[in-house]
Amino acid sequence: MGTVFPLRLPSSTAMATIEPVSTPEVTDGTLIERVASGDRGAFEELYGRFARPVLGLALRRIGDRGRAEDTVQEVFAAVWRSAGSYNRGRGPGGAWLYTIARNTIVDALRRRPAPTVANPPEVVSPGLTPDEEAEASWNAWRVHRALDTLPEHERTAIDLAYFSGLSQSEIAEFLQVPLGTVKTRTRSGLARMADALEGEL
Amino acid sequence: MSDHTPPFDEIVEHTDPERDRLQGAHLLLTAAGAPPELPPWLESAPPEPRSRVIALGRRRSTVVATAAVAATMLFGIGYAIGARDRPAPPVQTVAMQGGGATASIDVFSHDAAGNWPMTLRVSGLASLPRGQTYALWLTAHGKLAEPCGTFTVASGTTEVPLSAPYPLKEYDGWVIVRSGTTGPFLLRTGTV
Repeated sequence: MGTVFPLRLPSSTAMATIEPVSTPEVTDGTLIERVASGDRGAFEELYGRFARPVLGLALRRIGDRGRAEDTVQEVFAAVWRSAGSYNRGRGPGGAWLYTIARNTIVDALRRRPAPTVANPPEVVSPGLTPDEEAEASWNAWRVHRALDTLPEHERTAIDLAYFSGLSQSEIAEFLQVPLGTVKTRTRSGLARMADALEGEL
Repeated sequence: MSDHTPPFDEIVEHTDPERDRLQGAHLLLTAAGAPPELPPWLESAPPEPRSRVIALGRRRSTVVATAAVAATMLFGIGYAIGARDRPAPPVQTVAMQGGGATASIDVFSHDAAGNWPMTLRVSGLASLPRGQTYALWLTAHGKLAEPCGTFTVASGTTEVPLSAPYPLKEYDGWVIVRSGTTGPFLLRTGTV
């Protein structure tokens, strides 16, 4: 095994700095309802859950990193303003927030001119039809949200396997755990992802 | 697709009874790619916007109705006292219509913070079951864009003071919907 890996270490530690105000079983919808009543703590919890999916969606649609980051703030300002319109009878909170994010991103694209040829977007998904792109964006949103529901040890195994290019053996060596443990964690993480995706969060 | 797709067979045994389900998650994960890292300045939630309309929850409908009545009474008292404190005329009056109901929105000059005070007068809307409300929305490109508050109605004409902290020229219409739905009850028919 080489000594240098294309490592992209798990970043969930950064998210952990946001102090949770609720137990993990509190749904996204419940948090949105609390935001509607002005609950700042609920807003921070919601931000912790969705900031990266929102940035991911903005990057897919806008391309330019700086503009996408600016749009993240606009999306969450819209969440503050619009939380009162959420109705849990019409769907889960994650889907509502996706709609808010998508509309805010579209508005941002309309307000600000597209990048010039000299500064092209970093875009993503060339060759997809609009429908395919919409489906891919929605799936990526769900996957990124589901990743944040994994326990830390499973998240690490998934990140290293899928996003850092390490084999199961290399992960075992990197984490200093038996190969069987890595396989168990990776499989368990996949199963939990499947549960989350099937449950539509 | 990621350049680092791990071999699925390396992770899940051929005999695994959940193999198909796990493969679905595997494929979605591979297609989605890594979630982006947040820059340091986005690691904390942004502050609450300075100006914000809270679309009141259903349980507050009584409060909304009471506030509307109180505002109407205060306006009447003020009007009776004299013309010296008469409010400035609206900068825009929006007419709305739909399903036998009519409404008008007097939009007054915005304050220094960018809030546009408004008075909504609506008549002909059916009273909703207890706990349900109507909502006034700004629209853009045929879609609900920003909420401007919720209200209930009584018989006759209902008058509701509202405020919107949005740059109104960025929107192209107004609708009244039943809260939690998108089907319009009233649409803008014109601007005076």
